Amino acid sequence: MKVAIIEERCVGHGMCLLACPELFELSDEDGHAFLRSENVPPALQEAVLQAQRGCPEQAIVTSA
Amino acid sequence: MDQAQDLKKCPIDFDHESEDHVASWPAEFREMRDTCPVAWTERHGGFWVATRYKDIVAMAQDDATFSSFKTFDPHSGDVSGGITIPATPIPRGLPVESDRPDWDVFRKFLNRRFAPKAAEARRQNIRRYADSLLNRVIETGEMDLVNDFTGPVPAMTTMELMGLPLEEWRQFADPLHEMVFTPKNSPDFPKVIADVQWIFQRCIETFHQRRSQPPQDDLLSYFAHEQIDGRPITEEEMLSFCNNIITGGVDTTTALTTHALVYLNEHPEDYRRLKDDPSLLPVAREEFVRYFTPIHGLARNVTRDVEVNNARMEKGDRVYLAWAAANRDPEIFDAPEEVDIARFPNRHIAFGAGMHRCIGSFMARVMFEEMMQAVFARIPDYRVDPERAHRYTSVGTINGWIDMPTVFTPGPRVETGLVL
Ligand code: HEM
Ligand code: SF4
Repeated sequence: MKVAIIEERCVGHGMCLLACPELFELSDEDGHAFLRSENVPPALQEAVLQAQRGCPEQAIVTSA
Repeated sequence: MDQAQDLKKCPIDFDHESEDHVASWPAEFREMRDTCPVAWTERHGGFWVATRYKDIVAMAQDDATFSSFKTFDPHSGDVSGGITIPATPIPRGLPVESDRPDWDVFRKFLNRRFAPKAAEARRQNIRRYADSLLNRVIETGEMDLVNDFTGPVPAMTTMELMGLPLEEWRQFADPLHEMVFTPKNSPDFPKVIADVQWIFQRCIETFHQRRSQPPQDDLLSYFAHEQIDGRPITEEEMLSFCNNIITGGVDTTTALTTHALVYLNEHPEDYRRLKDDPSLLPVAREEFVRYFTPIHGLARNVTRDVEVNNARMEKGDRVYLAWAAANRDPEIFDAPEEVDIARFPNRHIAFGAGMHRCIGSFMARVMFEEMMQAVFARIPDYRVDPERAHRYTSVGTINGWIDMPTVFTPGPRVETGLVL
């Protein structure tokens, strides 16, 4: 699975970080999310899907 | 004109500022979400009320159509736009009452100072304020939770952030709380306003002092020395920043923490779970933010004719985005009217949505956690008495408690290096 953040939509709710701190980080400049890696290992798939469902801006997209 | 009136479909008699709304809002919002999700009320000069999650997020994200811009003329008292209904006759807050492209400049100017790392760096001091405030009361076994603890901790944190002297914490904390719950027609209101004015006067004085001092780590120094768009920031802009940060950050965090501590007193099992395993706090915290939604709703100003969920809005209309209603929308949340401290994921919008989303949320989260940890560690058997406490008489902007009598087993003071 792959994951990406639509930057224009992300406003820094930080729900993604709470769901999956292994892959999501928040910037020290503006609090917006960025990814450590766009490749999601199987063990983190559920956490990334939770991040996606938890993002109020629908800023997270996943693909198989 | 008549035709325009016809456009205002789904009329209801809604007033978020009314006393009835304090008790009836969950039921009122439930019915509105079901039967008229974008409703029109004639109160306060007429405005739309949106109660469904998806509509509210869509409007908050469409900042070009739904403007936050405010103008205020101090000489005539004329006011238009802004994010409160009714509009308040005071200068605008920044960045919250600006639109793009100005907003980009203002927000960018502040972002770094509020980012997760900057908020995290304050954790120890925040705990120190919490412990010092508990020292004042811990040997007596009683306090007023709001006035002795959940009010002053955010107030002191904000003072430190701004660069205001901590000794004045009482003169700072009280008016910021009173301003929110004192009715505008109360005989006390003029004094409250004068006391709030004093706080802003302190900001002005400190700002000018900082201009002649070398740069320091506080916000007023930052405002005094940094540039926006290649020029120094004006006193007016500085005051608008202070207004937004001080009024946006203090009583909201107070309300959140008070509500959570009352809830946990009434739900001992949840209390034990959190106290025994504070790693559950971040998830629980977001559920308290959702359920209690300290800022119930804010306004936008319609800049072009637009249709939202079958409601035909016209340029110049105003609309109230009811974050509290969105956060209990069953289309998004299972069992929305219940607290589930393990609810996750939790896509609440209590910090707003779209570009104006709360810049202070990281700071609020740290303050909340440190206040909870201080309670767990030092007054673990606290008992609140909501029967003797008072709710705000209007919850349309902030939903909080005026006071909250609290008792606990007396305990020892701890060394904090700060005597209050
Ligand atoms: C639980 C506590 C808090 C809640 C519920 C809360 C809620 C909100 C909401 C709903 C907005 C969106 C405004 C809009 O859409 O018009 C907002 C914006 C803002 N908040 Fe907070 N807030 C909290 C704490 C704080 C703190 C601690 C600070 C500062 C230290 C702060 C400063 C701001 C500022 C400056 C904005 C404007 C951002 C912009 O316009 O870009 N807030 N807040
Ligand atoms: S939850 Fe969504 S909006 Fe929030 S930081 Fe993560 S990606 Fe950005």
